[in-house]
Amino acid sequence: MSDPITTNSLSRRSWLRLAGAAGTAGFAANMSGVEVLAEPALTTALKHSGKRVILLWLAGGASQLETWDPKPGRPTGGPFAKIQTCVPGIEISELLPKMSTRLNETAILRSLNTKIADHGTAYTLMDTGRAPEPSLNFPHLGALIARELGQRDSKVPDYVAMYTSTEGRRQGTAGFLGGRYNPMFLTDNMIPADIKRLESISDADHQDRAELRDFLASMFARQHSHPMYDAHNSAYQRVRGLMTSDHLFDIDREPQSMRDHYGPTQFGQQCLIARRLVEAGVPFVKVARAWWDSHGQNFETHQELCADLDHCLAALLDDLKARGILENTLVITLGEFGRTPKINGSLGRDHFASAWSCTLSGCGIRGGSLYGKSDKDGQNVIAGEMNAGDLYATIFSALGIDHQKEYMVGSRPVPITDFDSEPCYEVLA
Amino acid sequence: MDPKNLNLIAAWPSQDILFCLAGSDDGSLLWLGSSDSGVYEFDISKEKPERKKLSGPGHSSYVTSMAKCGDKLVTGGYDKRLIWWDTTSREELRSINAHDKWIRRVIATPDQRHVISVADDMRCRVWDVESGNQIADFSDHAAITPHHYPSMLYAVAVSGDGTKIATGDRVGHVAVWDAAKFEKIAEVETPVLYTWDPKQRRHSIGGIRSLAFSNDGTRLAVGGIGKVGNIDHLGGPARLEVFDLQTGDRQLEIEDEKKKGLIEQIEWSAEGDWIMTVGGDHNGFITFYNASSGQLIHQDGHSGHIHGVWHDESFANIFVAAHQRVSHLSLQQKK
Amino acid sequence: MWLDYHSGAQLTIASGVLPPHPTFRIQLMRATLTLCGIIITACGLSSAADTPRDLARLIDGHIDQKCPDGRQAALLSESAFIRRVTLDLAGRIPTVAELEQFRNSESLNKRVELVQRLIDSPDFAFHHRNELDTLLLRRLEHNDQWRAYLLEATQQNRPWNQIFREIMLPEDACPDDARPATFLRRRIRDLDAMTNDTSKIWFGVNVACAKCHDHPLADDWTQAHYYGVASFFKRTFQTRNGSLGERFDGRIKYMTTDGDELEAEFMFLTGKKIREPKLELDEAKLKEYREAIKNSEKDDKAPSPPKPDFRPRAQLVDAALADTEQDFFARNIANRIWARMFGRGLVHPLDQMHSENEPSHPELLQLIASDLRAHGFDLRRLRQAIAMSDAYARQSRLLDDIDPPSEHLFAHAVPRPLTPHQLSLSFRIATSNPKELTGLASQNDWEKQRQELERQSEGVARQIEIPDDGFQVPISEALWLSNNPQVERDYLSASNNRLVGYLGSIQSNEELVVAASKSILSREPRPEEQSALVRHLESKPDHRSAAIDQVVWALLATPEFRFNH
Repeated sequence: MSDPITTNSLSRRSWLRLAGAAGTAGFAANMSGVEVLAEPALTTALKHSGKRVILLWLAGGASQLETWDPKPGRPTGGPFAKIQTCVPGIEISELLPKMSTRLNETAILRSLNTKIADHGTAYTLMDTGRAPEPSLNFPHLGALIARELGQRDSKVPDYVAMYTSTEGRRQGTAGFLGGRYNPMFLTDNMIPADIKRLESISDADHQDRAELRDFLASMFARQHSHPMYDAHNSAYQRVRGLMTSDHLFDIDREPQSMRDHYGPTQFGQQCLIARRLVEAGVPFVKVARAWWDSHGQNFETHQELCADLDHCLAALLDDLKARGILENTLVITLGEFGRTPKINGSLGRDHFASAWSCTLSGCGIRGGSLYGKSDKDGQNVIAGEMNAGDLYATIFSALGIDHQKEYMVGSRPVPITDFDSEPCYEVLA
Repeated sequence: MDPKNLNLIAAWPSQDILFCLAGSDDGSLLWLGSSDSGVYEFDISKEKPERKKLSGPGHSSYVTSMAKCGDKLVTGGYDKRLIWWDTTSREELRSINAHDKWIRRVIATPDQRHVISVADDMRCRVWDVESGNQIADFSDHAAITPHHYPSMLYAVAVSGDGTKIATGDRVGHVAVWDAAKFEKIAEVETPVLYTWDPKQRRHSIGGIRSLAFSNDGTRLAVGGIGKVGNIDHLGGPARLEVFDLQTGDRQLEIEDEKKKGLIEQIEWSAEGDWIMTVGGDHNGFITFYNASSGQLIHQDGHSGHIHGVWHDESFANIFVAAHQRVSHLSLQQKK
Repeated sequence: MWLDYHSGAQLTIASGVLPPHPTFRIQLMRATLTLCGIIITACGLSSAADTPRDLARLIDGHIDQKCPDGRQAALLSESAFIRRVTLDLAGRIPTVAELEQFRNSESLNKRVELVQRLIDSPDFAFHHRNELDTLLLRRLEHNDQWRAYLLEATQQNRPWNQIFREIMLPEDACPDDARPATFLRRRIRDLDAMTNDTSKIWFGVNVACAKCHDHPLADDWTQAHYYGVASFFKRTFQTRNGSLGERFDGRIKYMTTDGDELEAEFMFLTGKKIREPKLELDEAKLKEYREAIKNSEKDDKAPSPPKPDFRPRAQLVDAALADTEQDFFARNIANRIWARMFGRGLVHPLDQMHSENEPSHPELLQLIASDLRAHGFDLRRLRQAIAMSDAYARQSRLLDDIDPPSEHLFAHAVPRPLTPHQLSLSFRIATSNPKELTGLASQNDWEKQRQELERQSEGVARQIEIPDDGFQVPISEALWLSNNPQVERDYLSASNNRLVGYLGSIQSNEELVVAASKSILSREPRPEEQSALVRHLESKPDHRSAAIDQVVWALLATPEFRFNH
């Protein structure tokens, strides 16, 4: 049988009727109202299986000058030195000593010019790969990845986002892909809400009533058909599976040595949860590390936050590598923008989107590569300029997803990356 | 001298950030430590003073602090080095890899035979000015904050008689030391100077940025910033605490909601009747408090955050090193 | 003026007396737009329909005319109709008592009577309030004061143009009431938000992309329009005590795509420009006024700030409501109400009113918009008329039609997810003891009860996603209903005043299942359902109360409950 999402409406309906007749056998797996122009057969979907993404979201905007693109000695450079890394010719800030010895699986991109430098709009830009368009609710990266890499019958969530700090907390949306791909969004508590069965109901009863519900839903489906009903059923049919994944969020199940490896900070613990999730097959995990918005005291802020980033990123890459899953896991460090080269009166740096950096590690990435160049003071990109769409094209290419793939939203074809986006082949394996 | 007489005599704008300065005994020459890693002589007796860079390999990062000992100048910076300069020849005499992390403050003992440095390796080190030898190395400051971040050791002071040293760190811990034995003799806690934001932004701001003994050595002033709501900015009150070292009591606790930001340096009047604080947020301030009552005597804003101050004994000449400027002020009544 | 915007469109109006409906297709005379404009002007918008029922017939005429022969879905059963219309007019499912009362009525006019009763019920105002709150504030904030204001407005059935004036110009329309200013206050720091949201919500026009370039799809929207509308808000400020004011000066400059810098004119979406008279104030006076405004922004005890003679936002309100420009305003709300009742707009998406996105039924949209204008923007009347139409009462798409007519023809109903408030209130109603909670059927203190239900359902409503086009129930909702202790506590409680408690008192499993189905799905169970649910109860003789819980839960978790179909 072909993938029901991509077939025409007639056979889609036939399939649904079949599903209805089969009672609780299952509803359409892909519930979005979106059709895909370039029809990937199920086999293509299988090809992606096993690929994962961990996005370390540096919320508020980390300074490229104190991380991946240092300019010591320049008026804009700040006080910190640069250090030689394990890759000849690549130097990074001394605030990232652990990462300096672990660039073999990592590509640094120093030439993002994304132009938008207010938090809200830039967040949408960098988390969707395109500028917001009022008439189109574009999905965020996690939803796109969940849609492309998720398994239809997966018993694990396919888009988990952690954002503990309250500043700049924004929940990504699945936009036109539909609520099926909305994130499981964790804020205060690292165990997802409502994932545990209440003690007052036995497991058998919990299952019985779910089956009763499925039966009633199938009766309804005999006379009523709509993608929204399918999505509703799909959500309920995933409940029992997701409930078995609660242990993934429990880092107490890790040996003490492993917890020590990630360190005591909350970011470290969340990176460990992220590793547990991707190992179990969750295709997309976002760990937001807020808040880097260092308008005052930029250097002290980066002394603190870079130490956290350096340790946790290094620990995560080491662990993924040791488990043999780094080659299938793309680890991204990215925020909504970078910070101004100009140092303000409070020894701070302000919002800056004209020449900033991000990193890609692991899956599909040519390790030890460096792409793009900013000028000597870091004010402008002078080589390899990339925008958000180019970065997204690169991310999709690294994961084996056709970056030119189109979704049909109503009657409008919408490419998965913005028009004219080009992957950065130089950093792709 | 009456703080109410504070007036601005001259200001010299620049492109760089000035973190520290020292003056010659007659007040005609200044030495400046810059964000461009240079150490400069600045002859203000000239109508259009020009900077002369002291020569030598010098520093490779921000010059954060300096101490003048006779004709020698000892500077420290983010390159972790202490550098000795001959102020007469304007040449580098000696360069020492003094700390494992960024040096925050260098001061001279009253007899000018020693300099004392503190750095983010959380060590306080005492150096012989003549030989450059390290005399002592001590610390009472945790390298990691309770919230698992690297801590910082910003401030050090020595008492007027040279018998006591105080060191103050990021999380508000002050240790007072016997300057002969380098043993800890007292502790003071100023937790309000450290703002940890566990909820909104999950990092911290603040720290003890300035320490100063009263001239009789019985009291210790501690400066920084009070609780900050939004730690993206220096939007908290400038905060000064004064402790009686005999009893350990906090005698004064002053917060200035008007001129906000960090108190970067504290100076006591010769009689010990008032305290001058300098610092700032996006801009600078100079504020004078009554040292007994804590009442504000006088304050003025300054164009640019003030990082360092140097003054002569009478406060007739006060020079501040600030963000993109050096200014000359005075407590002498304007003619 | 609005005619310029639709020069390509043809407007159809009804001629003469309408033949009875639905037996005959309405014969319509086509008139050109210009002609229509003259007619409308000439007869001063004299009502094409006197009563809501007349309007309903006209609506059906327009819908029937476009629909291919014999392709319209059948009308709903009585049970299905009362569920749909109660959800749409009262914002909740019907109680069992209401259901039975309706079914038992022998009146030939029972549907019309039901609609009238719902329209007159206290529920209508609450429901309409909840919808307005979602439309105007989304979830930018939850504000009880603001919600109380909206409730007063809906209880009094305040005309929509008056609500618009109160919200957009509160300092004039209700100077002693800070509540309606919430809409602008919430957006006051963001000129783009004031511009975009005002255009979208009140005029159905999304001008956001015209900020940076002329609209790519519609020639109608240029940068001049965007900045034209933004100009009306440029001078708006908020005083410390929460009221609004306007400054004496301030114009917007913007860069065109060609790189020219232009000063924006005060221009409404219709292209109507408003000239600013020269400010007759000397520098000293101006400085004094500016100082006074500054003070009012900082100090809540400062005197009211001075008001300039020329106030752009006041100009916008006047311009939007002027006879010649009012069409945008009227068409937008007509279209939004239509969409609330039918699941999609006559213009769809709702914020894409422009010449490249023609209405599916241009004449019909014009009809209901004109009817609103002619009847003092009485939104209740329009909802009532729609609810009385046959078009509204059709079944949703059925599976036996291999190639059903497109949704935009309104030949069948489009299923709609319940809104957060509808769903939360319906959970409450469905799980109440049907003997105690009878609603409009017999409760004298129903308004008080309804208020209490609003209060109880607010918390859950806030957690539920606001449905947009292409809505999908998120997994979080399914997990919540499956495992949240609040569900067990509030919906599955076995106390006597709750459904589970009531069902526990019924001996016969067959009767129990019927009662559960009527409470939750507003209908009797089908035979297969009946036997499956009875079997479930019989399979757990040892823990009957748990089995009842499960039956109730399973019914609540069906798509049939989750949607208005």
